[in-house]
Amino acid sequence: MAFNEAWVEADGFRIRYQTAGEGPPLVHLHGAGGLRLNPAHDLLARQFRVIAFEMPGFGAEENQRTRDMAELAATMAKAAQALGLDRFNLMGTSFGGRTALFLALQSPELVRALVLEAPAAIRPAGGQPPSGSPEAIARRLYAHPERMPPLPKVDPRLAMQIAVLTQRLRGPDRDADLEARLRGLTAPVLAVFGTRDSVIPPELGHLYKDLIPDAHLVFVYDAGHAIAAERPEAFVEVVSDFLEREDAFVISRVKTVILP
Amino acid sequence: MKVSYFETGRYQSPADMPGVWPMPSGAYDSDAGSDVYRGMVERISFVEKLGFDWVSLSEHHYSPRILTPSPPMAAAYLTSRVHKIKFALLGPIVSHSNPVRLAEELAMLDTMAGGRLVVGLLRGTTNEALTYDLNPQESRERTDEGMELILKAWTEPQPFGWQGRHFRYRTVSVWPRPLQQPHPPTYALGTSREAGEFAARNRIGLGVSYGPFEVMGKATGYYRERCAKFGWEPTAEQIIFRANIVLAETDAEAQRAMEAYPARAPFALGNGIASALLELDSRNIAGEARPASINRALPINFVGGPDTVVEQIRRCRELTGAGIIDLGFNTPGTADPKAHMAALELFGQKVLPRIRDI
Repeated sequence: MAFNEAWVEADGFRIRYQTAGEGPPLVHLHGAGGLRLNPAHDLLARQFRVIAFEMPGFGAEENQRTRDMAELAATMAKAAQALGLDRFNLMGTSFGGRTALFLALQSPELVRALVLEAPAAIRPAGGQPPSGSPEAIARRLYAHPERMPPLPKVDPRLAMQIAVLTQRLRGPDRDADLEARLRGLTAPVLAVFGTRDSVIPPELGHLYKDLIPDAHLVFVYDAGHAIAAERPEAFVEVVSDFLEREDAFVISRVKTVILP
Repeated sequence: MKVSYFETGRYQSPADMPGVWPMPSGAYDSDAGSDVYRGMVERISFVEKLGFDWVSLSEHHYSPRILTPSPPMAAAYLTSRVHKIKFALLGPIVSHSNPVRLAEELAMLDTMAGGRLVVGLLRGTTNEALTYDLNPQESRERTDEGMELILKAWTEPQPFGWQGRHFRYRTVSVWPRPLQQPHPPTYALGTSREAGEFAARNRIGLGVSYGPFEVMGKATGYYRERCAKFGWEPTAEQIIFRANIVLAETDAEAQRAMEAYPARAPFALGNGIASALLELDSRNIAGEARPASINRALPINFVGGPDTVVEQIRRCRELTGAGIIDLGFNTPGTADPKAHMAALELFGQKVLPRIRDI
């Protein structure tokens, strides 16, 4: 499915996004590597109106204004509202998972359901986002980099700009205040972890269930940190099922008849 | 060195049976079958008294060769009758199983048996894929995924969903959990690069079987190398070597017994099936391709009188690093239960005390 590039003015920023599909709106906030479409976006766009934002400072234009994650989340809420979305499904990847949680806490009325892909709201002590050459980044992102298309070359200026921005916004590895607030989150949450993730270890997954009242935890087998890119069918199947049926997504609809 | 007794059931047919797999179940003799389970209790009680550390059970189907198609069920029966020895399930065939069910049953067993369970997770011999109509080309992937899911089911504190390639669950939350925490001593069973890699990555043991010491040493060497890569070092007890043994009072007597050892497996597949399976089922030892073993009798690694066998066990330890040998006691040419018990007693008295410091 072809995604269209567009821009929206919000909170004093001109924000780029990619969009495709029809159906219930699904807003995606990317990880610290910036906006990069993968096959999961295409699969999701068959069922949802996907709006994949590029958060301010992760593209051509610098962002020296946003001071912390709460401000970034407020900007992204305004960007969604500027597109006429007053209630939507929200999906956050890694760094963007943290942004999505802030958004859902700050503007609960906007978020219908929340999907967290390898969220970086709780990180292992001293954990750092993937960096370096495309090959080095691929080794951190994927369980099987050899099976994946090569990552694009990184513009060193943009890489530096993003590194400075994410260091400023990413917050502490464990944020006691954020974790306390998660207990008051009202939206249903699906937290998805790759069993081979070396950036955000899947062993942290249960903490989201410990903290969030209405949370589900799902492991995608043999996926690294970039779950949606590495196992798009497995990721999208559970995400779209959850967004469609919420809690009832645990009831199987798989048919097992072999020979009628 | 620790020692495990491989309990095979020892079904003694009253009549001649055709040597085919699958064995027609109409040929089953219920009295002989009942003797199998009674005999297991007797033998395991005996090896417990002799000082063996473990007894092992394994999963095979559709023939009288090893009459424990469900190792957890056999272990539930046996652990309630023999009270001290550890029970090693080497192993349930993961590629056949619902991994969550297996995680539940093994946790039940460990709890009921007071923490005496040892778990080996197995891909299964080639013919076993026919048992439940599974594609042999998928067996390795199913095994790897199933093993990982079992470990997850034992250790995750919250209900979770699983988006696998071969298994999918939306809610997993097993009760009971194993008595031994975080889980019983667990081994990946196999000589392949994949088995070694899996075991190293998941910090579990490795069990190898039947090959020459030098060749099995390649598999365990690869495993240890990978463990080092993942930042840990396995103990000797995390390597099991399963083998057949023919023990007699003297070397000459053991050699005479060997003359009756068959070249062909007792319950062979038809030639067409065997050759088709050979093509479908890729096997390797630490990455070196090896054909699957189909229809060949398993080799004997330990053969001789007590002195010779002690030296062979020493050499096994040197070359494979194994800290546990799991022994299938063979008495070729005789189905005499007394001869079997005599071999066990001889091992307990003349070999076991001399290999503890190996």
